[in-house]
Amino acid sequence: MSPSKPHHNAQDYLRMYRQMVRIRTFEDNANQLYLSAKMPGLTHMYSGEEAVAVGICEALRKTDKITSTHRGHGHCVAKGAEFKEMFCELLGKEEGYCRGKGGSMHIADQSNGNLGANAIVGGSMGIATGSAFSAKLLGKDDVTVCFFGDGATAQGLMYETMNMAALWNLPVIYACENNGYSEYTKTEEIAAGSITARAEAFGMEAFQVDGQDVLAVNALTEQLVERCRKGEGPFFIELMTYRYHGHHVGDINREYYRSKEEEQDWKENRDPIIRFRSWLVSEGIISEAEIDAMNAEIKDDAAAAVDYALNAKYPDVSEVDMHVFTDVTHALAQG
Amino acid sequence: MREITISQAVNEALAEEMRRDETVFIIGEDVAEAGTPFKVLSGLVEEFGTARVVDTPIAEPGFMGLAVGAAMTGTRPVVDLMFGDFIYLIMDQLCNQAAKTHYMSGGKLNVPLVLRTNLGATRRSAAQHSQSLHALVAHIPGLKVAMPSSAYEAKGLMKTAIRDNNPVVIFEDKLMYNDKAPVPEEEYLIPFGEANIKREGSDITLIATSSMVQVCEEAAEILAAEGISAEVIDPRTIVPLDEKTLIASAKKTSRVIVVDEGHQSYGVTGEIAGRINEKAFYHLDAPVLRMGAMDVPVPFSPALEDITVPTPQAVVENARKLMLGEMIHAA
Amino acid sequence: MPHDVIMPALGMAQDTGLLVAWHKHPGDAVASGDVLFEVETDKSTMEVEAQADGYLSNVTQGAGSDVPVGQVIAQITETPEHAADAPAPVPEPSQLPTGHNIIMPALGMAQDTGLIVAWHKSLGDAVAAQDILFEVETDKSTMEVEAGQDGFLAALLYPVGSEAPVGDTIAILTAETPETTLSLDRSSAAAAKPVENSTPPQSDAPAPEKPVPPLKTGGTAGNGKILASPKARRMALQMGLDLNDLVAMGHPQPYHVADIDILRTLPKTQPAPTTAAQSAQLKAKINPAALFEFTQWSGTFDDATLIAGFAGGALPQDRANITVATPISAQHFDVGPMGATAVTDAPDSVDLMIFDLRNSPLQAAQVGSNGAPTMTLIQKSANKLAITLEYNVHQMTAQQAITFITEFSQTLEQPLRQVL
Repeated sequence: MSPSKPHHNAQDYLRMYRQMVRIRTFEDNANQLYLSAKMPGLTHMYSGEEAVAVGICEALRKTDKITSTHRGHGHCVAKGAEFKEMFCELLGKEEGYCRGKGGSMHIADQSNGNLGANAIVGGSMGIATGSAFSAKLLGKDDVTVCFFGDGATAQGLMYETMNMAALWNLPVIYACENNGYSEYTKTEEIAAGSITARAEAFGMEAFQVDGQDVLAVNALTEQLVERCRKGEGPFFIELMTYRYHGHHVGDINREYYRSKEEEQDWKENRDPIIRFRSWLVSEGIISEAEIDAMNAEIKDDAAAAVDYALNAKYPDVSEVDMHVFTDVTHALAQG
Repeated sequence: MREITISQAVNEALAEEMRRDETVFIIGEDVAEAGTPFKVLSGLVEEFGTARVVDTPIAEPGFMGLAVGAAMTGTRPVVDLMFGDFIYLIMDQLCNQAAKTHYMSGGKLNVPLVLRTNLGATRRSAAQHSQSLHALVAHIPGLKVAMPSSAYEAKGLMKTAIRDNNPVVIFEDKLMYNDKAPVPEEEYLIPFGEANIKREGSDITLIATSSMVQVCEEAAEILAAEGISAEVIDPRTIVPLDEKTLIASAKKTSRVIVVDEGHQSYGVTGEIAGRINEKAFYHLDAPVLRMGAMDVPVPFSPALEDITVPTPQAVVENARKLMLGEMIHAA
Repeated sequence: MPHDVIMPALGMAQDTGLLVAWHKHPGDAVASGDVLFEVETDKSTMEVEAQADGYLSNVTQGAGSDVPVGQVIAQITETPEHAADAPAPVPEPSQLPTGHNIIMPALGMAQDTGLIVAWHKSLGDAVAAQDILFEVETDKSTMEVEAGQDGFLAALLYPVGSEAPVGDTIAILTAETPETTLSLDRSSAAAAKPVENSTPPQSDAPAPEKPVPPLKTGGTAGNGKILASPKARRMALQMGLDLNDLVAMGHPQPYHVADIDILRTLPKTQPAPTTAAQSAQLKAKINPAALFEFTQWSGTFDDATLIAGFAGGALPQDRANITVATPISAQHFDVGPMGATAVTDAPDSVDLMIFDLRNSPLQAAQVGSNGAPTMTLIQKSANKLAITLEYNVHQMTAQQAITFITEFSQTLEQPLRQVL
């Protein structure tokens, strides 16, 4: 593991570990909910990429903003969301973060600065850049992180917004989670040239980092966030990572685009949680037994939240035309 | 009362709101020193600076998306889209993002954004700079759509739009920027969803939007000379739509023509005609007629372009037919 | 607590999964991550791993079953004992015993189904080929059906009282004594899917409302539709008027509110027109140039007032109720001596009905005179105005009619004379 900044204390490390395990546990439960047909819709697992979301979000304040993607549960947890409201949202329940109107691909948690997941690939590039623009115009030192995948680098919007962010020195960090696959296609088949060079073309500093090393991600992000706050943004990070599941739950037969051996290798040799766990133990920060206890506690938390969500009530049907406009309670009410 | 142009009215509205609220800013192509190709924004950058009158690269989806994010995080962008035709370029940001954010977030996030753009043919600008595409956005739940018909409306609706917490799209007619109308010196707002009865009448109702209000006022004059009393109503906003006023007028006169510059098929005229049919059917003495722009791309040649949009004469002819009880397509 | 093993939802549009094979036997120890079974879905097969440690128990689905997504197919229990408690698998159609299929015979001439009235054998019974196996009712007759085959009754697929489609298997006979027997109800009434998928509950939508019978429209003439505006129809309905009366008088369609005004002036119930012999028609032609000049010059009178005044002056009686209708409106006048006119509401009866069709493209009109003597004015050309009077012999005499139309025509031809 990369050496970390000296100011990190044991609490910080343990919090990072806990957040990564929370994400993995959340996804294991979400996966089961989907497979057991208890969860409607379509969902995309973040498992394997935990160090990216946690490494970055642990470098942010609550008032800093993020925009997220269809593979967004990890960002949401890392930015401070609660299991209960998240599972409720996944199941379309009234107590969900979005009262069941968004679902897996649209969780927004404004209270923690999460401006929402976006189901259009690359769709949040503008929103993140605009959020940074707002902060600058209003004289705030908030930083915005735009999470997106390697697939989104093919979208034109990225170039339009990075151009403006660079022109206007906006406090935004473009975090490209390169998990090697753009849906069902190898990234090398959809992206010509270098990904970081795209940002460099706009005069933006761009970095590539091991996305399975939470400390490396965190250290780099902390440094870039600080510079953003001083008006030195924007920045671009390419985080090399891996998704353990298919593009979505149900993308089972995927050997036509990647081998089981490759998956096995990432899981066994590069898992961000296993790596960080052994580092924590070897540094004497925590014992194996304590870690097992923490994992068990998180598992119980998740199980309780799932139970709660399964039994929670659906929104009343009268909510269907609420929240269409801010100033109209029921958009379809007959005048 | 003093008379000012639509251009001046929009400019005044923006300046007043920017003075009132520091979070309001303008963003778009050549909005600052250039003041847009129509010179509507001239002078604003001098007062408010380039931080709040922001020239962008030619990247409509980019600055539209940026505005959505800015609106979600405490500011009130007024996006300037140079031509209404470019709305196709920003559809994802406008319709998938801005329009749905409040709903998808269960009411947690707001997008208080104004998109200023224009419509209108007969400026000899051909098919990609002449379209009237307001029906496209009016179709999307979550967007409000305002269509000023004079300088008075242009100012009052713009000020209301900027204070609205929802995404609002305002379509100005690009041929009417220099048209003058009485506009009070003192501040006023025009509430959304309140139609304006421009002229009272008892025989037939002409419902018209934007530039077509003028067309119908002219038609009403001609009809008056023939003893036909036409009522002219300007809905002012098509979302929300002041259905009550339109239905009441339809019930009163029993005859309605809806005139709008968007393409006639699947458009605003059909929507309004449909609502009148549903809610005033047993009061109708004639079929509700739709008059929109021809369902062809806008041609360049003046000889062709001019016949694609409704004219006062065409409105008069249709009104006469309805008055005579010539049931169009009765066979 | 035992862990449920569930048929997973794997494909994008998948309702069921085909259980291809179990990789563990009931009672086997299972570790989380072990391949437990194989599922085929959306044309691909995948191995499903165990999600918990324990022992495979309570297997309810055998290989070859097509299982709805979300259904429990087994459990992983903490102790192997539970494995022994496995209940008999719930039979599925794919697990029907093999043997001789007894089918619902086609007995009637036009028979689609047969009603099982009785089973004469019970499950597990030995059955001989000539034994009566069941009774079926079809086409109002009941018949007893023989087994046709020796064996043991192993499965009953339609219970007494159910209807089975002709040709469907209703029972199965096995050659040997069956280990288990099976009773199902495949009748349509019981065909509801037993397993429910987890989807949001249906909203408590109110039961669909009974279709409201359409509003009665104004009467129609024979089989023909009457063309009328919605408002005209509504007004006729509210006033208790019958649009057929307008049809009967030959009034041109489509009808609008203006026509309702005319309808109001007609007697409410029209006797069927008896004979054409009772009505008569007079025609006159004038040059309307002077009339045109006069109306331009006088200016203060509208056309209807003027026409009503002139007509009133030509009628024999001192006062008359006259209605002047154009294609778009109708006005009612009370005309006194010297042609003095006053606008009134619709009177109960009309003495003269005038259709002023000068501004209409009509070139001919025969509208009848069912309510009152009826006069039509039609502009044939710039210098030709046709005046037609239709009347009923009960309404005026021929002499009165001729005098009236003559006087009226002269007045129209020389309007100044009337005024002077």
